[in-house]
Amino acid sequence: MKRQIPLAFCFLFGIAMIFTQFSPHSYSQAVYKEVINWGLIISPFAMVLAVVTLIQTHVTRINLRTEHWQYSLIVFVGMIVMVLIGVPFGPQNSIVEWLYNNVQVPMDATMFSLLAFFIASAAFRAFRARSFEAFLLLATAMIVMIGNVPVGDLVWNKVMSWMPWTDGASWLRQWILDVLNNAARRGIILGVSLGVISQSIRIILGIERSYLGGGD
Amino acid sequence: MLEKIMNMDRRVIFILVALVVIFPTLVPVRMPITVSEPTRNLYDFIETLPSGSTIMIAFDYGPSSLAEPEPMAKAVMQHCFSKGIKIIGMTLLPNTPTLAHKLMRKIAAENNAVYGEDYVFLGYRPGTLQVILGMGTDISSVFETDYENKTVDEIPMMENITNYDQIDLLLDLASGSTTEAWIIYANTRYGVKIAAGVTAVIIAQMYPYLQTGQLIGLMPGYLGAAEYEKLLNAPGDGTIGLNTATYAHLLIIGLVILGNIAFFIQRRREG
Amino acid sequence: MTYNKTFICITTCLLIFLCGTYAFSQEPTFSTPTNVTAKDTPNDDGSSITVTWDAVPEDSGITGYKILRNTDSGEFEEIGKQLKPTATQYKDSEIEKGKTHAYFVQAITDSEALVNSQQTEGVIATGQWFHTGKTSLFIAMIILCAAILVSIYLCRNNQDVFVRRIPGLEAVDEAIGRATEMGRSILYVLGLGGVENVATIASMTILGQVARRTADYETPLRVPCNDPIVLNVVREMVKTSYLDEGRPDAYQEENIFYLTGDQFAYAAGVDGMMIREKPAAVFLQGTFYAESLLMAETGNSIGAIQIAGTDSEHQLPFFIAACDYTLIGEELYAASAYLSKEPMLLGSLRGQDWGKIVIFVTIILGVTLELFGINWITTLLQSVR
Repeated sequence: MKRQIPLAFCFLFGIAMIFTQFSPHSYSQAVYKEVINWGLIISPFAMVLAVVTLIQTHVTRINLRTEHWQYSLIVFVGMIVMVLIGVPFGPQNSIVEWLYNNVQVPMDATMFSLLAFFIASAAFRAFRARSFEAFLLLATAMIVMIGNVPVGDLVWNKVMSWMPWTDGASWLRQWILDVLNNAARRGIILGVSLGVISQSIRIILGIERSYLGGGD
Repeated sequence: MLEKIMNMDRRVIFILVALVVIFPTLVPVRMPITVSEPTRNLYDFIETLPSGSTIMIAFDYGPSSLAEPEPMAKAVMQHCFSKGIKIIGMTLLPNTPTLAHKLMRKIAAENNAVYGEDYVFLGYRPGTLQVILGMGTDISSVFETDYENKTVDEIPMMENITNYDQIDLLLDLASGSTTEAWIIYANTRYGVKIAAGVTAVIIAQMYPYLQTGQLIGLMPGYLGAAEYEKLLNAPGDGTIGLNTATYAHLLIIGLVILGNIAFFIQRRREG
Repeated sequence: MTYNKTFICITTCLLIFLCGTYAFSQEPTFSTPTNVTAKDTPNDDGSSITVTWDAVPEDSGITGYKILRNTDSGEFEEIGKQLKPTATQYKDSEIEKGKTHAYFVQAITDSEALVNSQQTEGVIATGQWFHTGKTSLFIAMIILCAAILVSIYLCRNNQDVFVRRIPGLEAVDEAIGRATEMGRSILYVLGLGGVENVATIASMTILGQVARRTADYETPLRVPCNDPIVLNVVREMVKTSYLDEGRPDAYQEENIFYLTGDQFAYAAGVDGMMIREKPAAVFLQGTFYAESLLMAETGNSIGAIQIAGTDSEHQLPFFIAACDYTLIGEELYAASAYLSKEPMLLGSLRGQDWGKIVIFVTIILGVTLELFGINWITTLLQSVR
């Protein structure tokens, strides 16, 4: 029964939600909105559970003085300060705005900017012409990179001045992105879409139940 | 030696990247910029709009990725204000209103634009789908008040704006998957014209929509911002950012070539 | 002579008077909005009526339109805001359901004069049970679902369904074995998708298989979650896996925890765990955005064996560059069938292949017909709303 009831719910709601996608009638849309509302109601409760687990995890670390337990203290300091100021005074309060502009913005921007460093090291390692296919990948990546910045066209117009057209680097980059890249992406998207349909059917019909835990 | 080059410590690469990012910021070098067609299409579209038209800008980027979309926002807003085009700002992300509001205020002040008459910032409402679809029927049903808590129906520039029918263009400045949501719901269902300015890391996602005409224009990362600034003849943050990106690109190309030369020499030696 | 003068004078005055009267009586005339019709808006829930009229030339002198609707007392009141002169339709979404509504359109001229159209016939809005704009989508869904369901039915007792080798899934056991031998933990990241995301559910099925193995080998399994609902589902699922393997004692709830809901804070947290705990195996399975490379590259730097899988095709290059194995798109969804070898699940994979054939044939047929100027397939696909 512990398995059958969730599977029955899954089937009922799965079919109902497919129906609502094709039926604009007020009854079917009412069902759709109701299910969405249930989802919205569940979210805050789940959030409470999440905060509880967050507190539990970090309290345990502090109590046991596990390695790097000091970071857990910082989590609490950050959480308490933001809640104490943010909840009663709202997001437009000057202290909240100051914390947002001077703490969250630079920290988030720092994480995102790490991408530049990681892309450089990953590209250096990955782009090796070990085979013909790898060479093709390497050559294409080089063209796109050089066409992506103004220096590409600058070099093209100087070195390839005998060619009948100018700004060839950016044109070539655009062609690779528009034609080759799109063709490959569409192939993957078609496969993914069929995979989603197949997985959804398996879940709705209860054939796929491993997400409920255990094997079958 | 070859082994060392091929397995270069990533920290060395990090230092090199840091240097090429810092150097052009200190010593700016102006590069000639070729304007791509998608950016020009957006510029031309706004250029042909009559004074008094309205565009909506969705600031759908977070504080983490503002470096790329913010110069685009500046350039487009500057263009709109100079042509007397009204701007409605809003966001689908909860941690963006403070950023977007501050930016709109700044650019408006530089262009002598008046809040409530030339531009308005509606802020954020939860539920991406509900917000996009809701505004298709009535903007004030989703945003009863703007970010400054003024009743939307009482704001002068909103007097004749009910829904997307009165919006000439929606520009989504994004770092995530919000552009797809705007295309699927606002363009397909309500026929509103959409353009986008996105971070370079997700640019490849946007090209299919450009081909199908669902996007009328597109600004790709720093390059897009710099191109737009060139069209306005007002170099700004986008142009500076593009210079930095140029050196970073050249460094990566150089490193890849170096790695491959070492790889080939070693393979030849090994026979 | 006097008579003549008097006659000419009277005639001239009369002419001037007539001309003046005629000139001042000639206000510019504007044609009323034509072909004004009100119809129940198709494919909606019966909550709106659409009023349409013919477009007017740009130099018509019309500066906008107002829409008027009948009230209970029989009078007409203005609804909505003033429309642009280019407008040719108005959707009235504030009607009373079940009531008859009639409209007329009022054109506003550049001299602020109002020109009324004829009143439309009364209309009652009704809701539709089927959205006709989605017919082709519905047919496509039926065909693809039928292909999958028939394949599942045909394969239900067939143990010999061929599935090509997927190296990423073959390496799951290797990764768990390596972590066990080294006495280190396994880090499982489910991405940023919510529980409603199919990729997250697919990732959970792989996690279920991983949990069964870690229960057997007593290898620590750490799962930092980004979504509170996912956290609760994953806890329940992993616990059941440990129970099924007869090792409820080995299950440690504190190893599956909520990290944060913020994208880059989550990436920072996961990276921190990697650097501090140095897991021997890292699984990155689910929906990822720009944080993908931040995590994959950090995992690479600590020398962990990394198996990634995502349906976010724009993140695939990053995973391929930084991870040992990558499940590309649909391979992620094939994981549970591949790992369990269950005939019905394998049958669904075969059904997907039939779906692909249908799509290939449609594309080839569409392109060929388009070359000959026949475009009904394109029109059909474009009509999907």
